[in-house]
Amino acid sequence: MIRIAGFSVLGLALLFLLGPFLIIAGAGLSAGDILVFPPQGFSLRWYAGVFEIERFRESFLLSMELAVGSTALALLLGVPAAYAMARYEVPGGEWIRTIVTAPVIVPAIIAGLALLRYTVIPLGLPVMAALVLGHTALVAPYAVRVVTVSLTHLRPDVEEAAILLGASRTGAFFRVVLPNIRNGVMAAFILGFITSFNQVPVSLFLTGPGVSTLPIDMLAAMEFVYDPSIAALSTLLALMSVSIVLVAERLLGLSRYV
Amino acid sequence: MSSKQVIGLAAGMAAGLVATGAIAQQRTLVVSNFAVSQDLLRKDLYAPFEAKCNCKVVLDVGNAADRLAKLEARKANPEADVAVLADFSALEAARKDLIEPIDVSKLPNFAKLYDIAKDPIGKNYGVGYTFYATSIVYRKDKIDVTSWTDLWSPKLKNRIALPNITTTQGPLLLFMVNRALNGATPDFATGVDKIAGMKGDIVTFYERAAQLTQLFQQEEIYATVTGRFNWPLIAKLNMPIAWAQPKEGLTGGLNVLTIVKGSKNRDLAYEFINEWLSTEAQTRIANDLIDSPANREVKLEPQIADALTYGEETAKSLHVIPPDQVLANRDSWLAGWNSKIAR
Amino acid sequence: MFADRRIGLALAAPAMLFVGLAFLLPVGILLSESLHAPSGWTLSRYITFFTDPLSLEVTLRTLRLGIGVTIVSAIIGYVAALAIVEAGPQTRGRMTALFVLPMMISPVARTYAWIVLLGRTGLINKAVVGLGLSDEPLRLLFTETAVFIGLLQLFLPLMVLSLTSALENLPADVIPAARVLGAGWLTIFFRVILPLTREGLIVGGTLVFTGAVTAYITPAVLGGAKVLMLETLLYQRVSVANDIATASVIAAILIAMSIVTHSLIRRMTGMRRAA
Repeated sequence: MIRIAGFSVLGLALLFLLGPFLIIAGAGLSAGDILVFPPQGFSLRWYAGVFEIERFRESFLLSMELAVGSTALALLLGVPAAYAMARYEVPGGEWIRTIVTAPVIVPAIIAGLALLRYTVIPLGLPVMAALVLGHTALVAPYAVRVVTVSLTHLRPDVEEAAILLGASRTGAFFRVVLPNIRNGVMAAFILGFITSFNQVPVSLFLTGPGVSTLPIDMLAAMEFVYDPSIAALSTLLALMSVSIVLVAERLLGLSRYV
Repeated sequence: MSSKQVIGLAAGMAAGLVATGAIAQQRTLVVSNFAVSQDLLRKDLYAPFEAKCNCKVVLDVGNAADRLAKLEARKANPEADVAVLADFSALEAARKDLIEPIDVSKLPNFAKLYDIAKDPIGKNYGVGYTFYATSIVYRKDKIDVTSWTDLWSPKLKNRIALPNITTTQGPLLLFMVNRALNGATPDFATGVDKIAGMKGDIVTFYERAAQLTQLFQQEEIYATVTGRFNWPLIAKLNMPIAWAQPKEGLTGGLNVLTIVKGSKNRDLAYEFINEWLSTEAQTRIANDLIDSPANREVKLEPQIADALTYGEETAKSLHVIPPDQVLANRDSWLAGWNSKIAR
Repeated sequence: MFADRRIGLALAAPAMLFVGLAFLLPVGILLSESLHAPSGWTLSRYITFFTDPLSLEVTLRTLRLGIGVTIVSAIIGYVAALAIVEAGPQTRGRMTALFVLPMMISPVARTYAWIVLLGRTGLINKAVVGLGLSDEPLRLLFTETAVFIGLLQLFLPLMVLSLTSALENLPADVIPAARVLGAGWLTIFFRVILPLTREGLIVGGTLVFTGAVTAYITPAVLGGAKVLMLETLLYQRVSVANDIATASVIAAILIAMSIVTHSLIRRMTGMRRAA
């Protein structure tokens, strides 16, 4: 009895979480001009039409650039930090860990506002640089955490052996450590990419004239347009994220790092 | 991913940043404007202007309050060159030293404007480019609206959206409700109390006019209060929606073009404003039902004129709140709204 | 462990300096604004904030929604996680993946789906009218209910995943042993499962609560100006009035909330174990 009840709650929870996507995916297939479910007729025109909307194309590219760039930057900063904390006795190590992972606790909208007020405006930074700064800081904690997890799986004596055999410390890192934590770094990259790509609140204050990210543009467009195009776009983006995650899960076992 | 790939990515990213920087080096004019009808404005105004000036018009859109706050935040290092504002927002911007007086002798088309549009806020801080009426828009198959008092008709219970006080239309709503109920005080207390009393029956207080099309389409609402500039979008929905002529009359407002103080493209800003005021641009904009003309030389077909708020006589018939009165009383409206309606 | 502290510090320094200077410093300045008035250091901004009926109501609503979403997701989360753990290892992996999936999808898209579903012409209202539960479509959009539903959908996976990993570490024979000893399900839950999965509940609860009180998109889209939460109030105050005073107070409240929740949940679950 209890088992059945448990499984039905599980099923309902999954329906609650995933059902809405099926609805918007379906609504995007409508042949009509109005967003409704069940769709009126069947057509792929809204899905095809999404690629024709220039402002979405521009902001999609910008979001891509931003997500790749800030995640790469966060990893450049995060991998050495994670390595240092896993392998060295760093003075004030706990403090460093707290500082580097602090952006998780700060609500993103506050980070965006603070960056705008006290960094971007006083320094006269361009909008894109502001976005990279904000997103890198947000992604950094993920990079550190995920890479730390995969470093703890790697026994330090492997590097020590390499060093004993004459490798330099740097050499040991690039030849021995990095290949072994490759999966972790890639998992961090994927998580960071998705976090940055979907990020709204920090970008809210940091976007400017002519420079806008895709989620921000979608939020704005949701108010204007009530045709199936936003539903189609949402579905395509969802499919993009889902396929990245599925491939990553297959190759890397992503959920171990989440 | 190898370190080489990571470094490659970072380098690519840096190159991308430099490239974006390079594009920004071209002559660009940043226009801070309302969000409504930007697609059509691009066709009727920005694109022709870009062809003439060999420059790029970049937009920063949002409601007046949003953009005014942005101008203030970026006062030391402004992004925008031209700000399109409601008259009272422009007056506020002038008092906060965010915009600069316009030398109208540099605007050949200035002489063609209706007198009411020439210097609406004083000291040539802004030139009017359009005016609009504000009224009730309603589903004529569901209700018949003949008075501002119909806003609280039982038929509209849970089916009406009203402008938030933070929008340009918010004060106009309070003004007309107050007037319809014979409220006499400048703090619109009678109007505020009326809206407060019915707030539970209101679907939402909208903050961006664009949202209304969605609300009508989804049948969330049967009526709302909005400016005529929003009418073409709503009319396009192909729903039985009408523009009310309430017996108490219509309210409305005037929008102005201003030059942001410290603009790095002042000459381009003057060219752009002059272009916007030109008979050709104003005619194209009017024929697409975006904005009604403030240029007296613009002649329109009757059905176009009907769809807009056309002509100086019409403009003078509107019950408007003078910009300085808006600023003098806005704090009391906000206080009343926040303590009685918003909560 | 390598002994050279300087190398370690040098490796960690760039990340620390970056986050410190580009992130924590500006946030710190913003927070200090909340205690700063032209006249000097003061609490007056907090007093103004908490004596304003609108701010107070928004704060209470934010707490209410945050706590509500956390409790409901904990209840659903335990039932779902127990069912997941009961299933074989292969199903377990697939189920976990199904809960990870929605978290990877843009919150904008996730919220948008609810506009379609909760609208007057949406599927839920069609069902309500069709089943004769109501004569006419209900007003669901722009209500607290809509925001609650949206937030629950956004953050439920975090709770389920935290609880699943906590339950996986539960010794396999604990529950059957308690059953044999004649314990009822409620007793088993409060005496056995809850104490042993405390860490998972803390992690899940903190993530869900802080996620819910600091969400922006959901209250902005599904709530609007009538159902403001702290985050949307902050955005409104800054964007409409350039009001940094109020924004800095809200920032301080939100950060304090997420720190306090963490320790509160830890303490509450700790007391249960002691009792």
